[in-house]
This record gives sequence, C-alpha cells and structure tokens, in this order.
Amino acid sequence: MRTPLISLSNISKNYPSVATGGNRLRTIAALLFKRGEVPHFCALQGVNLELKAGESLGLIGENGAGKSTLLKIIAGVVKPSTGQVVVNGRIGALLELGSGFHPEYSGLENIHLAAALMGMSNAEIDSKLDSIIEFADIGSHIAEPIKHYSSGMVVRLGFAVATALQPDILITDEVLAVGDESFQKKCIRWIEGYLSQGGTLLLCSHSMFHIQTLCQKAVWIHDGQLHMYGDSFDVTREYLTYHEEKNSKAAHFERVVQPSGIYTIRKFWLENDMGFVTTVAEMGGVLRICGVAHSPDDRPPVILFGVVRVDGTPVYGTHSNETAYLPNKIAPLQYGFCIRFSKLQLLPGKYTIRAHAMDPEGLRLFDTVTISVRIIGQTRDYGLCRLEHEWMPAREDFIAMEDN
Amino acid sequence: MQIRNLWPYRWLLLNFLSREIKSRYVGSVSGIFWALLHPLALLAVYAVVFTAIFKVKFPELEGHSFILFVAVALWPWLCFQEGTQRGALAVQNGGGLIKKVAFPHELLVYGAVFSTYAVHVVGFLLVLAVLALTGNALHFSSLPLVLLLFCMQLLFTSGLALILAALQVLLKDVEHFLTPLFMIWFYATPVLYPASLVPQQIQQIIALNPLSFFITRIRGLLMTGNNQIAWQDMVMLVGSLLIFLIGRWFFNRLSPYFEDFI
Repeated sequence: MRTPLISLSNISKNYPSVATGGNRLRTIAALLFKRGEVPHFCALQGVNLELKAGESLGLIGENGAGKSTLLKIIAGVVKPSTGQVVVNGRIGALLELGSGFHPEYSGLENIHLAAALMGMSNAEIDSKLDSIIEFADIGSHIAEPIKHYSSGMVVRLGFAVATALQPDILITDEVLAVGDESFQKKCIRWIEGYLSQGGTLLLCSHSMFHIQTLCQKAVWIHDGQLHMYGDSFDVTREYLTYHEEKNSKAAHFERVVQPSGIYTIRKFWLENDMGFVTTVAEMGGVLRICGVAHSPDDRPPVILFGVVRVDGTPVYGTHSNETAYLPNKIAPLQYGFCIRFSKLQLLPGKYTIRAHAMDPEGLRLFDTVTISVRIIGQTRDYGLCRLEHEWMPAREDFIAMEDN
Repeated sequence: MQIRNLWPYRWLLLNFLSREIKSRYVGSVSGIFWALLHPLALLAVYAVVFTAIFKVKFPELEGHSFILFVAVALWPWLCFQEGTQRGALAVQNGGGLIKKVAFPHELLVYGAVFSTYAVHVVGFLLVLAVLALTGNALHFSSLPLVLLLFCMQLLFTSGLALILAALQVLLKDVEHFLTPLFMIWFYATPVLYPASLVPQQIQQIIALNPLSFFITRIRGLLMTGNNQIAWQDMVMLVGSLLIFLIGRWFFNRLSPYFEDFI
C-alpha cells in the first residue's frame, strides 16, 4: 500500500471573531500562552481526508462551504485549529488569482518572485524562464507591470509558474475558470499529462465538467463538513441534484403571462403513471404532463410544449396540432390535456418544461407556463437524452471502405 | 522554526530585499538618491538650526564640526527608526502573499529591516567619505568595529520589528503609536547632543536606552578612535541577541494565525 501524500485527520478551523478591541487583546493573550477560549466561528469541522500519489481529487461545494479554507490548510497557508496535516511532497499551490504577484512589477519580475516563494533558486528560475514565458504566452506584455494585465493574463502567468515547479501535488482553486477557451484547453492538456506521469492533483472548481474530466474522485464539502466522498461522477451528480432541489423549492411553478380573455393555461403539473403529482422522474420511467387550458370562445385550444435543459438548451418540442389531438372539454371554457412519456429518455439532470396555449388555428401564441423536473438515474452517458442504439458486429467488407 | 530551516528560503529573502529597495524608488526619477537626500536634508536643517541660530558649542566636539558630530549619529539612528517602522508594517503590507502562499512570514520583516540598513549603511559610508575628503579627521581604522555595531543594532532592530509586526497584524493601533514613540525616542537619544550634557538625574534613564549605547559608541569610534572593547559591548551583544530571539519567539508564536486576522 502506498503511503498517502496528503493525510488530514480531524481537521477543524475556527476563525477568531475580532469585532471589538477587547476581543483582540484576549485573542492575543490566548494565542501567546495557548490557553483560554478565543471567540470564534467555525469554518471547517472534523474533516478526514487522504490523497495518495497519482490520485486526482476534485473539491466541490457551495460558496462559503469551506473549500478554500481546506485547500489553504493543505497548502500550509492556514494552520488548522485542531487535527493534523501531514504532507509528503512539494506542493505547487495556485490558491487565488495571481498568487504572490505584486501589481507594480513587470511579469518577468513577478515570475522571479513567485518562483522564489515556491522555493526555487535563482539559477533554477533562470533555466526555466523561457518555458514559463512560452507557456504563459502573453507576448510582449511580460515586460509590463502586472497591474495592467487582464485577470486572464495573470492566471496564465500564475499557472505557467506553478507548472514550471513540477510539484508532487498541484493544488488549484478555481483558477481555470478565468482563462480563455484555448488556455483552458492548454491547462487541461497539461494537467492530463501531469496526471499520466503520476502527478497528484487537488482541484477546486464549480465546473462539474472539469471535475469529471480531470478527477477520479471528488469530495463534497458542505457547511464545513465532509458531506460526501467517492467517485467523481457520483459526487458531482448528487451535488447537482442538491442544487436543483434547492432551486425547485424556491420556484417550481412560474406563470409568466396571465391575461384573461385569451387562451391561457390555467393549471399545469407533472404526474407519474399512478396520477400522483411529482417534480421528479426516473430516467426510462413514465412521466405525464397535464394541464387545464382556458378558452375564451369555448373552442379547443392548441397546446404546445417544449423540454429545455436548465442552461436553456432546447431538447424537444411539439404541438397538439401535429397529431390532431384535441384537448377534452372538462367544464365550460375549460379544456384538459395530458401528454404521456412511456419511456422517458432524458439523461439525469434538471430540465424545464414549457407549455403554451395557442388559438385553435395554431397561429398565435398567448401564454407560457413553465415547470421544473428533475430526472434521476444512474448512467454515464453524455448529452441531453439517450438515443436508441445497439452495438453490432462489423462486416468483412468494412475493410473495403475508403480511408477518411 | 529553527533558523537553519530558513536556508532554503534564502532566494526569497534576497527577492524581498531587492523588492523592498526597488519599491521605494520605483517610479521616482532620482531613484535611490532619495535614500541619501532625506538624511542629508535633515542634517542640513539641524546644522542651520543649531550652528547658525543656536550657535551651540560644547567641549565634546573636541574641535570637530557640529555637522560631523550629528552626521555620525544620524545615519545609525535612521537605520533603527526606519527599519523598525518598515519592519512593523511589513507583515500587514505583505498580507496578499500571506493569504495565498506558504512561506516563513518573518522573511517579510527581515526584508524590510535589512533593506533599510543596506540603503542607509551605503549612504553612511558615502557621507563619511565626503566628510573625510572635506578635511574632517575621522578614525577609519575603527570602521570594522563600527560595522559590527551596525550588525548588533540590526539584530536589535529586527527583534523589535518582529514584535511590533506581529502586534500590528492583531492590533492595528501599533502603526499610530509608532510615530509619537519614535519622536520621543529620537530626542531621548544623544543624536543632537552628547550624553554628558544630560542632567545627572535623568542620565540613568538615558543610559537604559539601548540606542544611546549604539550611537555613543559609533560616534566615539569614529571621532576619537577609542576601539577598546569593554564589558558593556559584550552586554549589548548578548542583549541584542536576546532581543532578537525573544522577537522571533513572539513572532513565530503568532505567525500561524496571521492569516486569520489579515
């Protein structure tokens, strides 16, 4: 069994609350003589974690959950209040934008400073200077003061210095997000190469895509505690689900327009095959979209619905005219409708279903109502929905096909 | 942290030093000459006030000019005052680094104190050279001892700056308290006057002031060439070392918590 590169046992971090002068004096006395209680608030509580060589671990959690504090403790910037941190190896930490850069100095001078902070000697820095400048790829700006840099350029420089160190453990805290597309790709390529050479990565990100592509395992920190640890796919899925639930509590029925005298959808809900109202459906299961539309002239309206992923990507949409479906009249001026998905092929995640009422001619759109649905299930498929497919054996004449 | 554990960080200290020296004069046209101009201006003011207006004369001058008398004390004093003040704010000013990178925080203080000494010792040597060339009799043979005294004073300054820097992080009051403190300390130190002119009753108090030792000793070495090593020198050496070690203990005791307060 390999010895862990990083091992945290029962880590807690309390930050002193020093709102008043009296508190400050008491805190100093307590710190100097190591006794007495310091007024504090708790940022991390009882975290146990191990990271072995060659592993890559993603760190996720809400803002203020304690992710950055945990990274700072591992990087040695913050001393934990209780517990033990053991780190065996050289750490390269990119904790925030432009760690260790001084705004007045040129990029070149800052490379020297940042590299010295990481423990490199002048000779070592000079030998790596060219590769750092090349990786950062910010052209002649390297001779200008950092204060004139864009945040993306600062990150480029910071990442370039961190990579030059060839650390045993690379810690990055949400720094990739600032770089542009091509630099992100460059960084990800570098990290992938680094991982394949046995490097160890600790990545904190709000991009589940980065966590899933770069990390084998993930940790979800919630309210200063380790909430979940496991395979990065499982943890990120649970985490996203948690967020969807949180949002759906806030607003799961939202009426955008509601004038009277025109065709409107008065009621709108989702239900399962038993007829129970729900906001959650299982992938491959049954889901029914139901509603009641109001018709001012008592003619059956045309119903239109669409499924949209949470980020706004359309998945599917159609209207009742297509199949000559007529909503049934259930009361004067009231028409009910129901759409049944017998094998729901949406991939797990959060979706919005929109429905619109149109006049019977299908010409004018009057109304939009939306409802959120969360699809659950276990799958490693990518995309929005599953396409029916099967894997077939190859025929012999495949060889005769032209090369691409 | 053991002092030898700081060895891998020597490049960082070097970097802090050059950064401190450069940062003072970055963007100013005359650059490093400001380091010399400021004490020269002070010296000129004292010279005008005390020789042209007050027309001071005291036997301790022994035929030397008043300018020389003040000059040999002014630079050591400025080293101490500026070094302590810059050192005391070094950690707070380096807060950006402390929040993001793990490194021995004391290096920030050393960077500030050492750079001040480097700048002023060079200025001091230049001024001594000019004074010697303009016909003042100086005992250059005791220069190595003078530099040794500067080293002792550097230890003392670093120790004091470490304590103040740590306190400044936790209590922002230190910064405001330093300006009046150093004003009083300056007049309580025999820079503008010889210690022997002080009335008998408060001479004991003046003698307790470590700076009065350093400055009187440096002045004596350069003006009278008295390079006998006495027991007081040993006491001061041990004392400076002690202050430095106490300062380090105090600082490193609190430094893990700096990040919480900055």
